[in-house]
This record gives sequence, C-alpha cells and structure tokens, in this order.
Amino acid sequence: MNLSFFDQFASPSLLGIPLVLISLTFPALLLVSPGNRWINSRFSTIQLWLVNLITKQLMVPLNKKGHKWALILTSLMVFLLLTNLLGLLPYTFTPTTQLSMSLALAFPLWLATVLTGLRNQPSISLAHLLPEGTPVLLIPALILIETTSLLIRPIALGVRLAANLTAGHLLIQLISTATVALSSTMPAVSVLTFLILLLLTLLEVAVAMIQAYVFVLLLSLYLQENI
Amino acid sequence: VLHTTRPLHTTQQSLAPVPPLPEKGGEVRHGLIPEEFFQFLYPKTGVTGPYMLGTGLVLYLLSKEIYVVNYETVAAACILSVIIYGVKKFGADVAAFADKLNEVTTKLQFDFAPPTCCPLLCVQNNIAMLLETNYRERLLTVYNEVKKRLDYQVAMQNLKRQKEQDHMIQWVEKNVIQSITPQQQKESIAKCILDLKALSKSAHAAV
Repeated sequence: MNLSFFDQFASPSLLGIPLVLISLTFPALLLVSPGNRWINSRFSTIQLWLVNLITKQLMVPLNKKGHKWALILTSLMVFLLLTNLLGLLPYTFTPTTQLSMSLALAFPLWLATVLTGLRNQPSISLAHLLPEGTPVLLIPALILIETTSLLIRPIALGVRLAANLTAGHLLIQLISTATVALSSTMPAVSVLTFLILLLLTLLEVAVAMIQAYVFVLLLSLYLQENI
Repeated sequence: VLHTTRPLHTTQQSLAPVPPLPEKGGEVRHGLIPEEFFQFLYPKTGVTGPYMLGTGLVLYLLSKEIYVVNYETVAAACILSVIIYGVKKFGADVAAFADKLNEVTTKLQFDFAPPTCCPLLCVQNNIAMLLETNYRERLLTVYNEVKKRLDYQVAMQNLKRQKEQDHMIQWVEKNVIQSITPQQQKESIAKCILDLKALSKSAHAAV
C-alpha cells in the first residue's frame, strides 16, 4: 500500500463504493445509551457526566430561549470531538478535514443565529455592529468593518476547523516520513525526529479537542448576541 | 384470547427482578485480546500458542510486504504509545472517578429495591405465577382426557382383532372336523388298529 502525501484527505471508497457516510456515522456507534438500570456501567456514567458537563458549560451564558439550542450544540460538540480524535488513529479518514464538511456545519448554524436575531430583535442585533463609545467620525468605517467581520464568521469557523486538523495531520505525516527516511542513514536523528513526533501527537490530541470546543463555543457566542 | 397468543410468549412473565449486570467485564489480556482466545488455543498449542500466532502473523505480513512499512507505521507507533501511556497512567483514576459518581446510587440501591418501592410489581408477579400454575394444571387435564379417549380407541381395535382371530380359528377347526367323512374315519381307525398290532408285536418281541 503505497501512500502519497494526500491520500489520507481523499474521500474514502472501497471498490468504487463511497465510504464517507460510514465514516460520518461510525462515531455514533461508540456511544452507549444509558440503560434502564439503577446503577449504570462506568463507561455510561462517564459519558453521561461528560455530556452534562458540556451542556452546562454551553448553556450557562444563554438565556432561556437559547436553551432550545442545547441538543444541537451538545451533539455537535460530541460529534466533532469523536471525529477529530478518531482521525488521529492510523489509516483513518477525518471527515472534518474536508472544507466541505466544516463549512456545511458552520454556515447553516451561523445563518440560523443571525436570522433568529434579525427576526426577533432586529434593532438589538443590528446594534451589535457598532461597539459602544466609538468616536463619531469612525462610525461609518466601523460599521463596514463590523459587517465584514459578521459576514466572514461562517467562513472563519469552517476554515479554522478544517485548516487546523489538516495542518496537524499533514505535519504528523511529514515528520513520520522524515523519521522513516532518516532511519536508514542517520538513526540518531531519526530517534530525535520520533521524539518530536511524540510531542506533536500530544499537541494534536489537544488540538482535536480544543478545535471542537472552539467551534461550538463560538457558535454559542454568536447565539448569545442574537437570541 | 390468551391461549392463542400463548405460543408467542417466549420469555418468562416475571417483571422483576431485572437480571443483574455482571460485576466485572470479560477478562482481557494485554487490554485487547479476550482471555477466551487463549483458552481456546491452549489445548492444542499450550501457553505460548497465541503469541507464536501473533508473531508469525506479523512477520508474515511484513516479509511478504502485504503490510508495507511507511510513514503511517511510525505515526501509529506514536499515537498508540500515547494512548497506552494515557490508559496505564489514568485508567484507575478514571474508574475510581466513575465509581465515585455512582456511589450515592450504590448506597441507595437497597432502599429503592422493587419490594419497597413498588409492591405492585410483586403482586403482579404472584398473580402471574398463579395464572401460569392454573393454566398448566388445565393443560395436564386436557392431555389426560385426550389420552384416555385415544386409549379407548386402541383397546377397541385390539379387541376387534382378537375376536376376529378367535372366530377364524374356531371356524377352521369346525370345518376340518366336519370334513372328516365316515369312510375316512373307518380307514383311520383300521390303520390305528394295524399300527397298534404292529407295535404290540414288536413290544411282545421286546418282552
């Protein structure tokens, strides 16, 4: 199996059958539903605790109307966490490295927040375009800048997620290639490269979790402004 | 209606208690391979069997280049060492944490056990048992009644056959006796007398 540098980012297929749907829905198989027992298994308990932690963390700043978003935000967070972390395993495909997927998640959710704000409280959400206490002369420029900032949010959300993960995976790939290439000529340097790879892997694990959290946190922030 | 749906009832009818979860999960060696696999191979290959299998498999895949060593191998080694380190270092703590999350419910489990929390379930259970006993008794009665009727039929057939056989034998005997004509009778008697004379002669001679 000779891999080129970008095979891991190609949409997976087996004999012409696209497997991308399986790669998207597989993480759900790893989650257990809490059974109707008095005392649940350790795995179930920890999963429940984690989901509660995430939901509490996300919902505390939101008002009562925002709590309607609890389900989608928590499930998005769990999905991103799982897909990102599973992508660190060898020979796996990370769907979130695909820009199409990140933008497909970011754009509709951002648009939903903006439309909610414009529909329910249009003046307040428009007022967010102008921070308080700006000098009068700067107001036109600032409005333009804030509008641009608003419009670029979905692209930023999507690209941030995809770019971070892609860069991480690519770095791991390149440094591993370097390790393999150096192992025959300069083994000591190869060992050093392997140590760098270890540190990078730890970083990637952290990045995987942080990126998922940041994505959902930003969405909840945009929601806070508008709901 | 109950008797028509009875064949569809495959499980027991009791509602409580729910069968308990096992205390510990399945035994696993090296965190991945179930113990049953080792036990499965033990009779044929002994203790080192599975390890030899593993080593042989890995060497086969490598030497035949079915698995090519590339950059993913190194990345795999990396992430697996991170995972194994994480599990070994934090595994017990996570388990203790999960147990701590559950400890309140564990302490309360006997306070909220079904007899104290829902006696209705026990009553329903008892009624279900009584109904089942009654049903089985009636089933036995039906079985016995049907058996009696079938036994009667069998006995009737046997009796009929016996009577036919007896009658046939009698009829055959009667006809044979009737068919012996007086001429035949005289001849057989004369023959018997001749035989007797011959016997007496030889007996006379013996004496």
